[in-house]
Amino acid sequence: MSIESVSARNVSISVNLHGSSVELRTVSKERLLGRYAYGKYLPIGVERVLRLLETRGVRATFFVPGAEARAWPALVREIAGQGHEIAAHGDAMEDHGALGDSEEAVLKRAHDSIAEVVGVAPLGWRAPDGLLSRRTLPLLSAMGYRYDSSFQDDDFPYRLDSDGGQGMIEIPQNEMLMDSTYFSIRQTHDRVLKNWTEEFQGMHAAGGYSCITLHPRPDYGVGRPSRIDMLDTFIQQIQAMPDARFKTCGEVASAAMNA
Amino acid sequence: MQSMWPGGVKCAVCITIDFDGPSNDTGLKRVVLGRFSHGRYSAKRGIPRFLDIFERQRIKTTFFVPGYDAEQHPDSVRAILAGGHEVAAHGYLHESFDLGDEEPFYLRKTHRILTDLIGRPPVGWRNPGGGKSALTVTTLRELGYIYDSSEKDADLPFFPIIDGEQLSDFINLPDNTSSLDDFPFYRVSFTPPSEVLTHWKQEFDALYREGGFFDLIVHPRMGFGSGAPSRAQVLEDLIVYIKSHPGVGFFTMEELARWCLDHPGQWPNPALS
Repeated sequence: MSIESVSARNVSISVNLHGSSVELRTVSKERLLGRYAYGKYLPIGVERVLRLLETRGVRATFFVPGAEARAWPALVREIAGQGHEIAAHGDAMEDHGALGDSEEAVLKRAHDSIAEVVGVAPLGWRAPDGLLSRRTLPLLSAMGYRYDSSFQDDDFPYRLDSDGGQGMIEIPQNEMLMDSTYFSIRQTHDRVLKNWTEEFQGMHAAGGYSCITLHPRPDYGVGRPSRIDMLDTFIQQIQAMPDARFKTCGEVASAAMNA
Repeated sequence: MQSMWPGGVKCAVCITIDFDGPSNDTGLKRVVLGRFSHGRYSAKRGIPRFLDIFERQRIKTTFFVPGYDAEQHPDSVRAILAGGHEVAAHGYLHESFDLGDEEPFYLRKTHRILTDLIGRPPVGWRNPGGGKSALTVTTLRELGYIYDSSEKDADLPFFPIIDGEQLSDFINLPDNTSSLDDFPFYRVSFTPPSEVLTHWKQEFDALYREGGFFDLIVHPRMGFGSGAPSRAQVLEDLIVYIKSHPGVGFFTMEELARWCLDHPGQWPNPALS
């Protein structure tokens, strides 16, 4: 079996757990007010996403920054307790391309925080803002990670050995299936759904793998009630497609590794 | 209406593909990993998908290839040539920035890389992301180029004016990166593919009515390009739509440029009229 055949028409829902770690890159904790308050919406958005996933019977992968795991340990355990996968997503939304010698320590801090909160070590990693250094994949491989999900350069998962991720799998993302791509430029619900639908239908018809990326935030994410309704419509469309199968990123990576 | 075009067709169509692999991000000093990996899609998925479409639709096209991408993906360039398509130049590291005095060096470098792969010198050039200077056309002519497809100030081909004189051995085949390019819709406005198809059909309808020149630019990469299945389908649907009109000719840019040079009276510089 090839990677392409084991992952054909698989669909993953991935949620980047962006809370105030986004704002705390530029302002202090005391200033998480007004326009800097969006990140504090995290538990409201997460609860809505969880309810929808439960209603539709879909298990997702939550990419969690170490800082959010430390800030919301009970919530992260609740997510894991509902059968979703917890993967790592930097520690405090760092630019991994600019960390230099401190990168290994940052990766380890995030890794340990998530392992401590969840009780098991994460096997997947996604770069905050998709920014990596040439050392990131070798470091992740040495730490025992099985997959990365930061690239946007293929229709199927692929092996990362030639990119320095020895023994690892890439679970490619797709900016056309992200909420933030459209909401950050203020597109309407209808427009976002139209973009998502057309992109997904095209990839499905080509037999490819689709990774949907969401955020629980009310600015560039799907946390708001109206957007959750839109997401529900999209999930039901996918579930109505023949051969479409929801799998977590970890499940897709595991099948690819054994292919 | 008197035809201006080869074979007496009513409307001349060039489908052009700017390769834009890892060169763009490398040229901007980014590591082509993560969010900057879009260019890696070109050789892996976008180019093969485009070549399949052009074979199915039986049209010949022009691929503008940055020298660095040709070095990284020589097999892709060979596949393009094997499909009967034209390979033309598009900068070395897709320099959309000003190269200053070094520009001739990089034009020559890419020229050597492409010449080795093609087996003969390329004759066409398109500026990468808008970068062009007073040195560009002079250097291209020294290297034997016969056309540039970068200018935005006309609907029809025209002879450039260099040092006050209108050339007759080098033609501009104008492009439009605001409306007949995938980049503005898939990067600036994130427009759904079905709406982009409608938009490009409207572009074609108007140019066809005028008996004009339709020069579409697409990219095989992820991100701002049309390489992904949903968007590649738009390209194929558009080609099918164009083909459904009588009197349409699909040409490589080299074919069109040679026709223009052979019929020099038709392409005055708009500044002289």
